[in-house]
Amino acid sequence: MKRATQNQIVVPQRTKKRYYGHGIPGVSSDILAGRLIVVEGADGSGRSTQIARLVEWLEGCGHATVQVGLKRSTLVSEELERAQQGNILSRTTLSLFYATDFADQLENIIVPTLKAGFIVLADRYIYTLMARDMVRGMDETWLKNLYGIALEPDAVFYLNVPPEQLVQRTFAKNASLDFWESGMDLGLSRDMFDSFMKYQTTMQQTFRHLQASYGFTIVDGTRSVGAISTELQKKIGAILAGK
Amino acid sequence: MKTPSKEDAGSVTPESRQENTPPATFPHDPMKSFAELGFPGRLIAVEGLDGSGKSTQIYLLQRWLELQGLRVYFSEWNSSELVKSATSKGKKRELLTPTTFSLIHATDFADRYERHLVPLLRAGYIVLCDRYVFTAFARDVVRGCPPEWVRGIYNFAALPDLTFFFKADLEVSLQRILDGRPQLKYFEAGMDLRLSTDPYESFRIFQGRMLEQYLAMSIEFGFLVIDANELVENQQAIVRQLVAQRLNLAAFQRTEALPMAKPAPKPTKLSSPQEPVE
Repeated sequence: MKRATQNQIVVPQRTKKRYYGHGIPGVSSDILAGRLIVVEGADGSGRSTQIARLVEWLEGCGHATVQVGLKRSTLVSEELERAQQGNILSRTTLSLFYATDFADQLENIIVPTLKAGFIVLADRYIYTLMARDMVRGMDETWLKNLYGIALEPDAVFYLNVPPEQLVQRTFAKNASLDFWESGMDLGLSRDMFDSFMKYQTTMQQTFRHLQASYGFTIVDGTRSVGAISTELQKKIGAILAGK
Repeated sequence: MKTPSKEDAGSVTPESRQENTPPATFPHDPMKSFAELGFPGRLIAVEGLDGSGKSTQIYLLQRWLELQGLRVYFSEWNSSELVKSATSKGKKRELLTPTTFSLIHATDFADRYERHLVPLLRAGYIVLCDRYVFTAFARDVVRGCPPEWVRGIYNFAALPDLTFFFKADLEVSLQRILDGRPQLKYFEAGMDLRLSTDPYESFRIFQGRMLEQYLAMSIEFGFLVIDANELVENQQAIVRQLVAQRLNLAAFQRTEALPMAKPAPKPTKLSSPQEPVE
């Protein structure tokens, strides 16, 4: 993407926003001027690196940005963190707890900043939440109803990295696998490595399934950081220009 | 007592995690009761406005069942610390919107449902619930959430086998609560709905709307409607009669003696500021 100089700021074309379902009582989606860009992918798929680059690029282009992500709400983030440490909540409870976290950020950050014309970058969105729950046996129709409160993003990029490579990246960074990212609560295998591979494979299948209904862009996450970043900038640039 | 053939055979190995239990949550046909889903236990719920006297009635029902030596459990809604902490934070700081109010309560309900109710019902208990999903259906819809959305969220839960609705005249329930001039809490009074700047007035309007919702659900869910303007004893006589008619109480007889150390069952909180003793 050509660099925009300070005096050539592109004013984003206003598009109509839509909720997936009924949305939030009393908040019409028509008044939301900004853009909502979602980056999805497993841990180690390069989400945060790409988001950091996008923020820099967007701000350089003169756009105000704000970031949201899972487990970051004022309302329940602490409690969710503790719940995960102890693995004490059952699946429906945990699912609803995450939905509460999402709804809180939706109403208190996403919607107000979109109203103010910001570009909201979401480090994961409802799709990860849905995929995780579906892998744990929750009903898809139930989840679609639950997340009918969500706004349809302007773009969703799914960074696709095969489990073999995810595991290598994780070890390069942490030297250990995460309990939840390995799906250890599912009892797929007592062996954490096996469990990780099985879980991530199932998660990818689920994402592909969700892609059919939600139509997100699948990005090959195995390429260099720069190559991926260029692709994202090009696509987002087109969205901002209203193309 | 009949135990279902699919009772836990203890064969769940981590490698072969299968749903070998009755479908306590998904996938099951929503709108079915525990009996219809093949649970050995039965769930009895009481619903009604604050001040309708439902807590008194469910307590008396519990005593009657206990004194017959039946397996009965009163669900006191002990939510886990985690969910409680988030809920009270949200309420104290008035952080909740209709959507998050609904979701945090659904989380709390799911927690109790999965950790307490389902295990007890699988173990063949009569479980008594002071309020069930209908409270959420009424309350969240009054707050502006779409009914289909709210009901969809709660459809992981089976319906009660019996639901008593204590129907008092609005003024009677209001009087019982407001005579004590309690400190009405923000959400309890429905202050978030901006119905009135006066908490008492807001509470009145809010309760009136709750009553409309309850009445609208009454036929759909087959509530057993009890006239809560009647004397406590008269109401209880009807409740006991209906329970005896609809449940095969003999099937719930305890086979084990209660442990010696168990203290006599205490009365449940009958006199919280919102639930005055009649």
